[in-house]
Amino acid sequence: MTTLKSRPDLDDEPVPTPVPEKSPRPKFGRWALFGAMVVVAVIMLYPFWVMIVTSLKSEAQFLTGGGFSWLSWKNLTSVIPIGQEVLSSTIVCSASILLIVCVGLPAGFAFSKLRYRASPTIFLLVVSAMMVPLQAILMPEFVNITKLGLTGGYFGAIVVYAALGTPFSTFLFATYFRGVPDELIEAGIVDGLGYVGVLGRLVVPIAIPAIATVTVLQFIQIWDDLLVGLLFIQNTNERPITVGLAVLAAGRTTSIPELMAGSLVSALPAMLVYLAFQRYLVKGLTMGIDR
Amino acid sequence: MSVIVAKPRPVMRQPRLTLRRRRQLAGFLFTLPALGLVIGFIGVPIGQAIYYSFTSWDGLTSTWIGPSTWAQAFHNTNLWTALQNNALLLLSVPFALGIPLLIAVLLHQRVAGWRIFRSIYFMPTAISWVVLGLVAERFFAERGTLNSIIHALGLSHVTTNMLGYESTALSALGITFVFTMVGTNTMLFLTGLATLDPTLEEAARIDGAGRWRIFWSITLPHLSRFIQLAFVMTVIALFSALFSLIFVMTGGGPGYATTTMEFLIYQTGFNQGDFGTAALYGLILFVLTAIVGIVQLRLIGADE
Repeated sequence: MTTLKSRPDLDDEPVPTPVPEKSPRPKFGRWALFGAMVVVAVIMLYPFWVMIVTSLKSEAQFLTGGGFSWLSWKNLTSVIPIGQEVLSSTIVCSASILLIVCVGLPAGFAFSKLRYRASPTIFLLVVSAMMVPLQAILMPEFVNITKLGLTGGYFGAIVVYAALGTPFSTFLFATYFRGVPDELIEAGIVDGLGYVGVLGRLVVPIAIPAIATVTVLQFIQIWDDLLVGLLFIQNTNERPITVGLAVLAAGRTTSIPELMAGSLVSALPAMLVYLAFQRYLVKGLTMGIDR
Repeated sequence: MSVIVAKPRPVMRQPRLTLRRRRQLAGFLFTLPALGLVIGFIGVPIGQAIYYSFTSWDGLTSTWIGPSTWAQAFHNTNLWTALQNNALLLLSVPFALGIPLLIAVLLHQRVAGWRIFRSIYFMPTAISWVVLGLVAERFFAERGTLNSIIHALGLSHVTTNMLGYESTALSALGITFVFTMVGTNTMLFLTGLATLDPTLEEAARIDGAGRWRIFWSITLPHLSRFIQLAFVMTVIALFSALFSLIFVMTGGGPGYATTTMEFLIYQTGFNQGDFGTAALYGLILFVLTAIVGIVQLRLIGADE
């Protein structure tokens, strides 16, 4: 912790004046810093403040400014089919993530441990797809999914999310497995587990942190997304929550307090996931650069 | 090793080869689903988009027209408006990088309670841009927070409605975009700062370098890779992640004041039913992001 500890070679030297680890910052500077951090915190908490305060007003109170009421929360389910929308979001999210992990994990494993002649090229091909924004291929994608008859249920959205998420998850898994020693895999194969056995019994348990990273990143991304749900889920009673909110908001007829109550409900799951798994999120974001 | 293996080699050779082949086959089969998904739902549509960009297409039937569709598209003023809006929004990128950099450096000072501050700063990152757009709309509205602040400052005769006017709506969108990017970029920079060797700064301080000098000569160069990555991610988000914000806040308006390329694609395809032109616009967006994307691939794949 101290200068002396970090430089043991100085121990024997006579040190005239002990140099403290950090230059003692003037008290004023410390307080100014703290003040600046509080200001930033207030700005970052502003969305939550707006949602909470606005949702606790009736429409009339919202227009006049003052007052407090539970009305918008009581009316919430009749204005926004919130339960069904949260359910839809949950179904789409879990199914997409399951697909992304089931496809990306074996691929990432193979690209780093079971290479074949064309694998570097194919890896590059798969990973490059990360750079294609959905909007760039929106029209053909929409027509294809419609022609396949997948816009009727959740399946169209799930497939599109899976296709968009697979390149990144493959990249992340491949990077992760590169840090796993080859001997471990060899041992499993020699033991007669077979490749599928090795994948299921050796590789998956090792990959838990990577699976967590992919899951958290994709959960937040898919839960928060609008475009895919808006276009690839045609039945209004199967809409995810973000789509429900956005359509109501764009319609400009729903009362703002109720919209804010709905927004708060939609924000909650992603917030909880974020707070619980913060470190996985950071890890995933900086994947490949902080090594 | 080689001495031991040398003797039974002729016997071992046959199964060894098949083992290698089996391993390659397993590898190929494991990568097949990923390859299939990517080709089927990303690769093929790119090809289709190229074909359909030369046609008149309503989603059901297409008629071949030829290269004149491209010439015509570039004569469309809406395309140029959208491109211009995207270019103007690029002006927000320095803020979307500078502010998080400042916040990360603040956090890195490890003031009392910095962990709590860090959690708070990252919190908006988890929220949907649909919700943040709704909140931003409240902020900029005539009876919103921005005007409350202005009035509290004593300028009661000034009332803004930034989203309501063509001249200011894009700025409001840009400000919202900066806010939405702060969490992610701060996270990136903080990770970068954590990898900075503290003894380096300390040594510089002992040598008499001032705080600014240390920042410019040590901290900033160290962060260069993280800043590059954040830059690329921010620009890509600017081109392909504003849809939610625009959809909720302005619907592309007033007029076409906040219609960016991605929103123009959506409008052209789904509001006007002109799938062919929308596919063509998609390809333009694709080229724009590909240029930025190649830079990113080089960054993250630099050590391969």
